[in-house]
Amino acid sequence: MAVEGIVDEAVAKRLLATVGVSPGLIIGKRGKDYLLKKLHGLNSSARSFPWLVLVDQDRDPDCPPALIAKWCPNPNPWLCLRVVVRAVEAWLIADADGLADYLGISTARIPFQPELLSHPKTDIVHLARLSPKKEIRTDMIPAPHPDSPKVGPAYSSRVIEFVLNYWDIDNASKRAPGLARTLRKLRVLKNKLAHDHP
Amino acid sequence: MKFRIRRLRLKNWKNFTEVDIPIEDRVFLVGPNASGKSNFLDVLRFLRDLVSPGGGFEHAVNLRGGISVIRSLAARRDPAVEIDISLAADRDEWQYLIAFSSEKNRKAPVIEKEYVRRNQEILLDRPDEHDKNDPLRLTQTALEQINVNRPFRELADFFGSIRYLHLVPQLIREPNRFALAYDDPYGSDFLYQIAKTPERTRARRFALILSALRAVIPQLKEIELRRDERGNPHLDGKFEHWRPNGAWQNETCLSDGTIRLIGLLWIAMEKGGPLLLEEPEASLHPAIVRVLPQTFARILRQSGRQVFVSTHSPDLLQDEGISPREVLLLNPSKEGTRVTPTNQDNLIRAVLEGGLSLADIVISASGPDHPEQLHLFQSS
Repeated sequence: MAVEGIVDEAVAKRLLATVGVSPGLIIGKRGKDYLLKKLHGLNSSARSFPWLVLVDQDRDPDCPPALIAKWCPNPNPWLCLRVVVRAVEAWLIADADGLADYLGISTARIPFQPELLSHPKTDIVHLARLSPKKEIRTDMIPAPHPDSPKVGPAYSSRVIEFVLNYWDIDNASKRAPGLARTLRKLRVLKNKLAHDHP
Repeated sequence: MKFRIRRLRLKNWKNFTEVDIPIEDRVFLVGPNASGKSNFLDVLRFLRDLVSPGGGFEHAVNLRGGISVIRSLAARRDPAVEIDISLAADRDEWQYLIAFSSEKNRKAPVIEKEYVRRNQEILLDRPDEHDKNDPLRLTQTALEQINVNRPFRELADFFGSIRYLHLVPQLIREPNRFALAYDDPYGSDFLYQIAKTPERTRARRFALILSALRAVIPQLKEIELRRDERGNPHLDGKFEHWRPNGAWQNETCLSDGTIRLIGLLWIAMEKGGPLLLEEPEASLHPAIVRVLPQTFARILRQSGRQVFVSTHSPDLLQDEGISPREVLLLNPSKEGTRVTPTNQDNLIRAVLEGGLSLADIVISASGPDHPEQLHLFQSS
């Protein structure tokens, strides 16, 4: 698999575990530009090896199919390139019960259609502000300076903890159609894998 | 009382002719080789040496090779070395200032100024009447003397709690080959520090370290401190093995990376003052370096320590939770090294706003100007 960063890595690992395949080699974790630069090479090797590549759409005005057509016009059969609508955090917000439980807030606070959010990462930070748990707030909320990063010092660590221990993927895929499609695609690839390389 | 360093002003300290910067709870120092990252950390070690047992002003200066070594080579007109540190403790604001130079004839270090302030109250302002009557007094700081430092002893204790760590695995493996130094930061004494810790605390910390390491070194099943027949402590690791009960290996068999990780996690769990870490990325896999800032952020939230990290690692700076305020860029020049928090550098700010990460730019901005000259080096 190939991912932008350590949060996406945790998400991708859970996806693969859900469909029952092991992650194998993990490429990237150096940001989106790096991943897009390596996409051509990954696609070449996807002639014979399966690859899951997760890329955030972010603020790009193009929709995911258009982006895939632009970034990788001729995907090989073993390439599973998924553009996550806005950012992978949308899929996490989609498990409203799990996220509410982790942050210790009411489910009613969690946005209902996470794939419509324009900045899901910022939304997670906003939700963390509501948390009654001081440690969560200290870790996830950035210092109140104009030049602070968008997230707190241990934001990634907290989100990864949520992904590994709380995130209910089935529950999340009910509210995130993109996640549901990605799981379907992965299951198809897994069956093909079992068929072609039994 | 929990002190936090909030501002540091230096004059003529080693490579730094003039520095005046705000200090965050977590500080990353980046700069080319020999730009003075270690010398920057050495300011805090110097303050610690002033108050540590067996330390004191003269000792701290001599330990560094004397005034002529400490004083910035770029210093011309203004020969005094000055350290001015501002701190916050609960609601109080503190300041400690020390300026010193060498006596003209004796070359011995003398204090030119020592000053302690809490909020508006000046607790110490030297030289005072006593110093004028007895100039020999100016060879010692008030900070290091318990009969004088009572009004600001908390500050002295805080400086004493500063801890520097630059673990050299070879020294841990073969402590007998090197002279043991009290509180040696390079690690020859690290095992003795672990051995001195009460057994229950030690067991609890080992368990926590092991659970953290399980994910990255899954073969490692147990860590234990054992004493050999001469009473010397050894760090043992139990690794998964084809033999049913695993195999115990002593620290000579733990890899550099394992030893350094154990050391980092151990020290991060200790309560205490600022923690100074020299290139914690050394011998570690980039995937582990990548998560070090997250690991520190969480452990340090619990222990409440301030941390100063010198680094060359883009993997470490890749972390999106790092604020530009936390990253200090060291740029050597003929007039001494300049220190700039990256949020105050206009070019870096512009590039960050353009969407690049700190890792994309900071390591390039802190690199040497002509690295290519190294491979053009001719040995004959």
